[in-house]
Amino acid sequence: MTTRISHTPPRSATVARPGLGARGLVKRYGTETALSGVDIDITPGEAVAIVGPSGSGKSTLLHVLAGILPADSGEVTLGGRRIDTLGEAARSELRRTEFGFVFQSGMLVAELTAEENVALPSLLAGTGRAAALADAQGWLARLGLEGKERNRPGELSGGQAQRVAIARALAHRPSVIFADEPTGALDTRTGGETMRALLDSAAECGAAVVLVTHDRELAASLPRTVTIRDGRIESDTRAGSVTAS
Amino acid sequence: MSSFRIALRVLRTDRRTRTSALLIALGVAVATGLVLLLVSLPGATEARADRAAWQLNAVPSSVSDRPVGDPTIQHAESEDVTPDGQKIDRVDVAALADPSDITLPPGIDRLPGPGETLMSPALAEIVDATPGSQLGERYGERVGELGDEALAFPEQLVALVGHTPDEMPANAVELGGFLPAGEGPDMLLSLLAGVGVVVLTVPSLVLIASAARLIAARREQRLAVFRLAGATPRQVISMVAAETTIAAAAGALLGLAISPLLHHLATLVPWDGGTWQASDFELGVVPTVAIVVGVPLLVLLAAVLGLRRVLSAPLGAVGGHTPKPLHWWRLLPLPLSAAMFAYFVSEADSEIEAMLIMVSMAMIIFSINLAGPWITALVGKAFSRGWRRPSGLLAGRRLTEDPRGAYRATAGVALAVFTGAMALTVLPSLESLSGASREYADGVQYVQGEGADLQRIAGETNDRLARYGQSERAVVVGEAYLGAGDRQDEYVKVVDCRGAEQVLPIDMRGACEGTPGVYAPYPLTGGELSLAGMPGEPGTALGDVPVRPVEERGDAAYSTVVVDSAVVPDDLELSYRTVAVPSTAANSDVVRTALAAASHGAQIESREVRLASQEGELGDVRRVTVIGLTVAALLGGCSAAIATAGSVMDRRRTFGALIAAGTPVRVLARALRAEAGLPAFIATAGAGIAGTFVGVGLFSLLDDGDAVVTPWLAAPIVLGLVVALIASSVCTPALNRVRSEPLSDE
Repeated sequence: MTTRISHTPPRSATVARPGLGARGLVKRYGTETALSGVDIDITPGEAVAIVGPSGSGKSTLLHVLAGILPADSGEVTLGGRRIDTLGEAARSELRRTEFGFVFQSGMLVAELTAEENVALPSLLAGTGRAAALADAQGWLARLGLEGKERNRPGELSGGQAQRVAIARALAHRPSVIFADEPTGALDTRTGGETMRALLDSAAECGAAVVLVTHDRELAASLPRTVTIRDGRIESDTRAGSVTAS
Repeated sequence: MSSFRIALRVLRTDRRTRTSALLIALGVAVATGLVLLLVSLPGATEARADRAAWQLNAVPSSVSDRPVGDPTIQHAESEDVTPDGQKIDRVDVAALADPSDITLPPGIDRLPGPGETLMSPALAEIVDATPGSQLGERYGERVGELGDEALAFPEQLVALVGHTPDEMPANAVELGGFLPAGEGPDMLLSLLAGVGVVVLTVPSLVLIASAARLIAARREQRLAVFRLAGATPRQVISMVAAETTIAAAAGALLGLAISPLLHHLATLVPWDGGTWQASDFELGVVPTVAIVVGVPLLVLLAAVLGLRRVLSAPLGAVGGHTPKPLHWWRLLPLPLSAAMFAYFVSEADSEIEAMLIMVSMAMIIFSINLAGPWITALVGKAFSRGWRRPSGLLAGRRLTEDPRGAYRATAGVALAVFTGAMALTVLPSLESLSGASREYADGVQYVQGEGADLQRIAGETNDRLARYGQSERAVVVGEAYLGAGDRQDEYVKVVDCRGAEQVLPIDMRGACEGTPGVYAPYPLTGGELSLAGMPGEPGTALGDVPVRPVEERGDAAYSTVVVDSAVVPDDLELSYRTVAVPSTAANSDVVRTALAAASHGAQIESREVRLASQEGELGDVRRVTVIGLTVAALLGGCSAAIATAGSVMDRRRTFGALIAAGTPVRVLARALRAEAGLPAFIATAGAGIAGTFVGVGLFSLLDDGDAVVTPWLAAPIVLGLVVALIASSVCTPALNRVRSEPLSDE
């Protein structure tokens, strides 16, 4: 039985958020085709799960949508503006300002404390020490990590470390959060709690969530599920409706 | 599957392991090549010395194969110079037996008869291009050339001059034949080679260690998995041994292969006046095999010892670990060893203390490496507390978390900086000493000897000088011992006043205008003046002679009291005398030729030639220091670069995530450069200070004066910093590499 996690676009999100779209995405690695003409639209504040077997192209789709990898052809837009044609510097800035990332193992800097890890993107973007740390502490508190601010990643549990990673992804209030198997290394209960923390926080900010997972049950808990196989979208399921591609 | 097959498979499939193995192989190759070269240096100097043994007539008693039996030759050795200041080795010889019975050294096909000379090709070329009065007439008629087997190095300038026995100079020695074996290895170069083995091998080993660290974490995890799967410690060890052996053995063979190239380059580096013959650096089979096997064995041993943690706690290795904090006692050995060094330097008066100085020097180097990580951690803590930018935060935390690793990357540079700072402290100070004192005035060339032969030398020299159209004339200077009241046995020179004015470093201040007497730069009071030929002998009273004040010029090496030869009692016989001739820059070669032709191989001295000789020796040491520093800096830079790349690779997933999240590579690279540069700064500054301290101590062994401080002292520190900064510049390409790889590829 699946518990559906509520994810409603926030009323408090007064800033208009841009939607993310892609048309005809093709990506090849040598002779292998990872994406073969993918079309997808993600509306502001929407939470979408992308599922599929290993090697189906779901992580590649996430990386192309986020501008980490360039597509061989096709286009990616954010708020109607093409972002796939931007240079590396502009794409980096876009990722730094509009996107947030949560990966499977948190990928925290082992030497830094939880608050410093959360503050790091802001610090690297030029925010002052005091402001960045204060903001980071606020996010950690929202994610239930009061008292853990000075802990190193090695001193946190897997779930706590992932919540730090979520705080880091949200700290600059992005439009879209890309999460690649964020609960892959966690047990079911902790994974569920972590997902709830991610989706609730994203909803609070009005950020869309693009979740890549191979966990069908977790995917079913989101309002929309896109299944991808052999680089093509096989199905696009919304709560109450199914669209086959 | 055997350990060897597993190792091969890992090498085939894992690019990072391949990179690490390649770097280990390169490090081992460099270490092997350098050790093969450095170990061959003493033998190379010995080979040189053996070829040139016939040029000497006095060898240490340790050399047993001195020719015995009736004397067959008279042999005199001396040093000369060309007009442009190159050293000439001159050998004067007279046959005491039938020349056909005298065994000739290799490279000499005949013994020159009286008035004949054999020359090395290089000298012959210079003689042909120079007017005879400036060079060629110092020797007899050229009747042949010396072969390479008779020369220390190919471009050596040597003259073998034949005489009759009665023409030979006073310093000639009767020998049973030419000496067959040289003085053994050059002690200075052997010492430098020993220092070089440490200074250059340690950075090579640091380079190997840095390369090994590239995959340390991954390999530990892989081996721990094997252990958890039931592999025995022996099996794990054999896996690592196989992996390391492949890289190290390939490196050792590569080192052996590049060894001839290194040896060829070494033959081009001048030492003691010239370059080398290719055969000089040949190393025997046994030491070659020992080195080619020994270096990879050491690497193998280090790799196996590094497995302790995996063997004892495989779960710990898989799960990562927290490094133990460093204790403050790591600082203690540094002041202790410095104090020991200072004490032994101040008390050095025996061989035991000399050995203890060396031991305390080694302890200082060890202490620097012990204290370095602690100081690195301290600086890291300061940065962690007071950071204002993310680069300071990242660098500070990294230094605090793994100070050993951070310091290790620059340990090679630190050693090179220590040695360089030491050498650059001692060298300018030694240079300041060279030629500081003088016995004769500048430009004076002189021959020392005994007896009436010096009168002949003076006469023949003056004849030649007249023939060459020179106005200078030879002055015969006697040596005696003056007694004046309490002052007894004061070494004085005996020469007429005009002669003293020409050849001694004294301003006579018009003393020659009066009657002859004794000329002294200080009052001679306290009783009647007497003069003796030897110290301790009863002096002969000089009677009532005037003592006239004179003034020393420059730093006189000896007493500048002069007794006018006109007041020396007729019955007093002076044992040692000198023929001295003043010369100018314009005619010094002509004057030397006149003196040399008359002296038949007696050593002609001059302050200028002595300075040139000292300068040559210092130049040799300086050249070797610069080469050693450069090689060590290159190796240290490579180590630091590899270590930096390794530290980026260790955190590739984190950095990959940060880059994916939009952090510009240049911002991360700036932070990592600070991380690499800080320990380099600490290491180089500390090593530079310690090297200067040791250099000052070593200099104090040679002289009581102050060591010379030159801007060059900062050179090793600047060099180390530049190397470390260049090394840290690999951050950007390493981060670009991280960016280009998929985030899930681990």
